[in-house]
Amino acid sequence: MVGSPVLLIAIPLLAAFVIPLIGMIWKELVRIIPGLVLAYMLILSATLLYYVSYNGTIVETIAGWQAPWGINLDFSPLTGFLATLMSALGFLVWLFSYRFKRNVDFEPAKKYFIFLMLLIAGAIGIVITGDIFNQFVFIEITGISAYALTAFYTGRNSAEASFKYLMMGAMASSFLLVAIAILYSQLGTLNMADIASKMHTMNPTYKIIALIFFITGIGIEAEIFPLNGWAPDAYTEAPGPVGAAFAGIVVKAGVYAIIRMIFTLFDVPGAYDFLIAIGLITLIVAETSALRQEKLKRMLAYSSIGQMGLVIVAFGIGTHEGVFAALFLMLNHAVIKPLLFFSGSSLVFNSKKKQIAEMNGLGKRMPLMAAFFSLGAFAIVGLPPFAGFWSKLSVLSAAANEGLLLIIVLILIVSVIEIVYYFRVVNRIFFQEYSKEQSVVPHRPRINAMVAMFVLAIAILIIGFYPDAVTGILHNAAKDLMNTDQYINNVLQLGQSLTR
Amino acid sequence: MKKFLVILILAVLGFHLFEAFSGLGLGVTRFEKGVKDYYLEKTVSELHVANTVTSIVVNFRGFDTLGEVTVLFLAVSAMGGILYKRRHQTGDRSVLFSSSSIVRSGSKLLFPAIILLGVYVFIHGHLSPGGGFQGGAIIATGFLLMLIAYENFSVSHNTLSYIESFAGIFFVGIGLLGFMNGGTFLQNFLPAGVLNNLFSGGVIGIIYVMVGFKVAAELTGLIYTILHEKD
Repeated sequence: MVGSPVLLIAIPLLAAFVIPLIGMIWKELVRIIPGLVLAYMLILSATLLYYVSYNGTIVETIAGWQAPWGINLDFSPLTGFLATLMSALGFLVWLFSYRFKRNVDFEPAKKYFIFLMLLIAGAIGIVITGDIFNQFVFIEITGISAYALTAFYTGRNSAEASFKYLMMGAMASSFLLVAIAILYSQLGTLNMADIASKMHTMNPTYKIIALIFFITGIGIEAEIFPLNGWAPDAYTEAPGPVGAAFAGIVVKAGVYAIIRMIFTLFDVPGAYDFLIAIGLITLIVAETSALRQEKLKRMLAYSSIGQMGLVIVAFGIGTHEGVFAALFLMLNHAVIKPLLFFSGSSLVFNSKKKQIAEMNGLGKRMPLMAAFFSLGAFAIVGLPPFAGFWSKLSVLSAAANEGLLLIIVLILIVSVIEIVYYFRVVNRIFFQEYSKEQSVVPHRPRINAMVAMFVLAIAILIIGFYPDAVTGILHNAAKDLMNTDQYINNVLQLGQSLTR
Repeated sequence: MKKFLVILILAVLGFHLFEAFSGLGLGVTRFEKGVKDYYLEKTVSELHVANTVTSIVVNFRGFDTLGEVTVLFLAVSAMGGILYKRRHQTGDRSVLFSSSSIVRSGSKLLFPAIILLGVYVFIHGHLSPGGGFQGGAIIATGFLLMLIAYENFSVSHNTLSYIESFAGIFFVGIGLLGFMNGGTFLQNFLPAGVLNNLFSGGVIGIIYVMVGFKVAAELTGLIYTILHEKD
């Protein structure tokens, strides 16, 4: 054992406090230390995930108080899988942005790395915590880092984007607090497992009101349809690697929180159908909006929202296959979307307007970046030999098993839309002529960025050609999510339950 | 028409929410088996802390407090980051103007008293009402008073950031010491002492002093950044 789950949170927080001091000694350490911390988190979570898949869930108590009274962390096959995924992506985002503002401006660079590290730590905290108020605290940590990173360029547009995000996020926090207050007033506990075991005693009206407040609150982080107005602006205005972190890490944490509420905590009838409905609306609205975008990052942002809609639809199917498909989609989206963001932001690096129309003929000037971008585009629309194919296939087969034909038809139609807008970009890159006036001046990314993209591309190919490499972990995770009783037992067996 | 519809929808929503919330009975002791009794009992019997709120905030839910301290740290850093460019681009002109001599001499008199009160509040956080957050906020108001009264009163940013960082490091460090000694993060590993003594409650008092330093440094830095934002 290299450590226990609490170190996934404690070490980055410690490092965040150390960085301002250590930056006064040697400025380069401000870049190196977050990388070391993220690498440690990756090794720790991967080792723990390996341990957990053989020996069962680790439930860690904090401050020495047993589960219903103290806060506990729950590192199960599901949460461990997400934590490992997030720390791996976090490490790649750090690697990609290692030279960010180097030798330009020290103070913003220092803040950038602190925010990035805490963004990732907060998202991991949302996933592994077993306490509902603790989850709220981590949502706050993630949220504030995200607002700060959105406003990072301190321009007019980024200030607007960040303000929009901040306002929605603040509303979301107060909604979450109201929901937590309702739950506490009815059940007298904040521990998720304890809440889940007592949920049947709660008045259905309050249950539904609390669930609505929860979903509205977390839906803002998870980008579900009427609540995602901040997302395209934030993705566009934030620095390139941050867009990848939003799409790969923050949104995943939001979706996890919603899923945990619906699958484990609340036994509200019809919640699964609600997930399907909201997911389909999100999917269709986002993909049709993506079709009309002129700017590359906005298009990627809408595509990311659409993918999350699809994930929520897959969770809403509610069977083991559905959950498996949703987790597979999350994994693939977390691998593919950062590659698109990385290569896309390298392609339009020297452009002021970041328009798709400026990408004409870049395939000949920057062949490797263009190849990475098209690999990502092919993978995300679900062309056969690449990663995205298997996840879309498993969503469709999960829906077919339940006889949900309408969903299948809609997903296929949306996939066609997806193909249209991604191939429009690929077509411009490869088959249009480069012109000096209209196209972007090529920018060669540094070696660290190349390595980060290369790792993602390899991951896409491995999952594409040999999906069995990951399906075992995903099946374990899906089983873990479906088994509510075991979740409750794991946490509460340590102390005696309050009411049983 | 659109506005009317919005108002109508909000009114219907508000009515139903009001109806639900009026029946909710917040603060009514309805459940006998919640976590609260355990907290009340263990605070006195095991932690030997006189202030239950403090024992919940710092020990039972100390992980949340660590998170909240981080939230404050992040918010202050973000504020500094956003206002950073403007401070360096323009000249050294303050938004403040000199105050009258009554304010100046009065604040000189009050400043030490305010600091003393703040320190008292956070040192006695486990004995009497108040604690690290409150004490830190009181200290920051003292600095605010001085900043308003004296045009050229300045606080060293480096000192503030030393205090902030060291307080944070000590908080996490005490947590990690508990992890190494007692087995879990933030666990109390010091002797609990005698109830109602200054040295009681083990790590609780120490952590709250750290929180006090951190909050004071952060809020002072925040006020300083905002007041000296050049336009």
